[in-house]
Amino acid sequence: MPLYVEKKPEVLITEDGVRTDGRKPYEMRPVRMTVGILDKADGSAFIEWGGNKILAAVFGPREVHPKHLVLPDKALVRTRYNMAPFSTPERKRPGPDRRSVELSKVIREALKPAIFVENYPGSVIDIFIEVLRSDAGTRVAGVNAASLALANAGIAMRGLVAACAVGRVGDFVVCDPNHDEDMWGDADMPMAMLMEDEEITLLQTDGPMTEEQFREALKLGRNAIRFLYEMQKEALKRPYQVVERSVRGVV
Amino acid sequence: MSESVVLVKNREVVIPGQALAKGRFKLGRDVYRDDSGFIRAKKLGLADIKEDTVSVVPLSGVYIPKEGDIVIGIVSRISGSTIIVDIRSPYQGVIPIPRGRATERVDMRKYNLKLGDVILAKVKAFDGSSSLLLTIDMEGLGKLEGGYILEVEPAKVPRVIGKRQSMLTILKEKTKSDIIVGNNGRIWVRSPSLKELLALEKALRKIETESHVSGLSDRVSSFLTQELSD
Repeated sequence: MPLYVEKKPEVLITEDGVRTDGRKPYEMRPVRMTVGILDKADGSAFIEWGGNKILAAVFGPREVHPKHLVLPDKALVRTRYNMAPFSTPERKRPGPDRRSVELSKVIREALKPAIFVENYPGSVIDIFIEVLRSDAGTRVAGVNAASLALANAGIAMRGLVAACAVGRVGDFVVCDPNHDEDMWGDADMPMAMLMEDEEITLLQTDGPMTEEQFREALKLGRNAIRFLYEMQKEALKRPYQVVERSVRGVV
Repeated sequence: MSESVVLVKNREVVIPGQALAKGRFKLGRDVYRDDSGFIRAKKLGLADIKEDTVSVVPLSGVYIPKEGDIVIGIVSRISGSTIIVDIRSPYQGVIPIPRGRATERVDMRKYNLKLGDVILAKVKAFDGSSSLLLTIDMEGLGKLEGGYILEVEPAKVPRVIGKRQSMLTILKEKTKSDIIVGNNGRIWVRSPSLKELLALEKALRKIETESHVSGLSDRVSSFLTQELSD
């Protein structure tokens, strides 16, 4: 007997387009990003997005172990997406599973085009994404955080990668699906873009959409990602502005 | 050629991918030119715009060796004819022990190293990936005796040294210590007492966190005066 029973809301979206958490179709949940919060990592970031709480840590470029994985002409990029046992309503069995292995792969492939891997031959860049609390859209939140952690680690990059999910609930294309929409909605489409060219580095779709709906979703996602990119910029610069303000205040 | 435009202020904090300038500029360090001709930052850092060169001074990052750099290493392994040295970098340093037909006179006493010894070495050759040759066969290089090792982020080493060694001179004079700064962010210190060492450590942390705000030398100088006054 499960201790926790998921309950499907009767209405996922009203005729006027009000969602289960009261949002409009194009509205995003509140996001907060913080950079440089782990001392021992070369770069780190923390993202809170709706009910998600996700830590990202970057180590490297550092020496490759085991040695046979060394790539002589570029850096190896390894990514681990992991969900804490307490991150879900019901306890999750710790350790990698089918889902987290897949997410590690798509997140790595979303981030890798941004990194100048050829600048660090023979080394490895390790990216860790730890989901402390999950509430739909963890992979895109993880990409946002990991991209910040990479920049924080001082790794040479073509640009930041920003990500957001869009979906479909009934006839509505919605931005940033919440838990209910993720579970019972009709389609879910996480996407990531390498800024500022807006080159798409991650695009998955689960559920049917008409061509028209797909185009609308793509447009909505792009706008959401532009907004998240602005937040990333602000998050990266904030610690330096805080120091500058406190120094200037004293003088 | 199109008009040259600069899109950021000098010494402004820029993020990777941010467009810095367009037009007839030379590419300095840590920037790249995209397909449409914009010069963009590769790293999080401070924009540095000289008359014809655009570069970024990175605010963080690991140490990537450069030929001619002076580094402070720790002997991590000795195997046969080579000494392996940890230099706080993705790449390990290698010092071959000279033997056989030495064409020049070599001070073999210098090579009498043990595991964990701290050495001052120079980067002799680096191919960018696997082979990093160090040398201690020069005046002043070799084992460092006594003293303490402090560390700063490698990206902040130029700030610790300062323009024409200005910052290093301040640190040395105020703390009355012998200081050797390695390009890899390790700093060897021999100070008259613990008080000076602790003050120096605090000053280094201050340099690390405030390096992007101008007037750093003056702040560090007055900070050390205050720390060492009582």
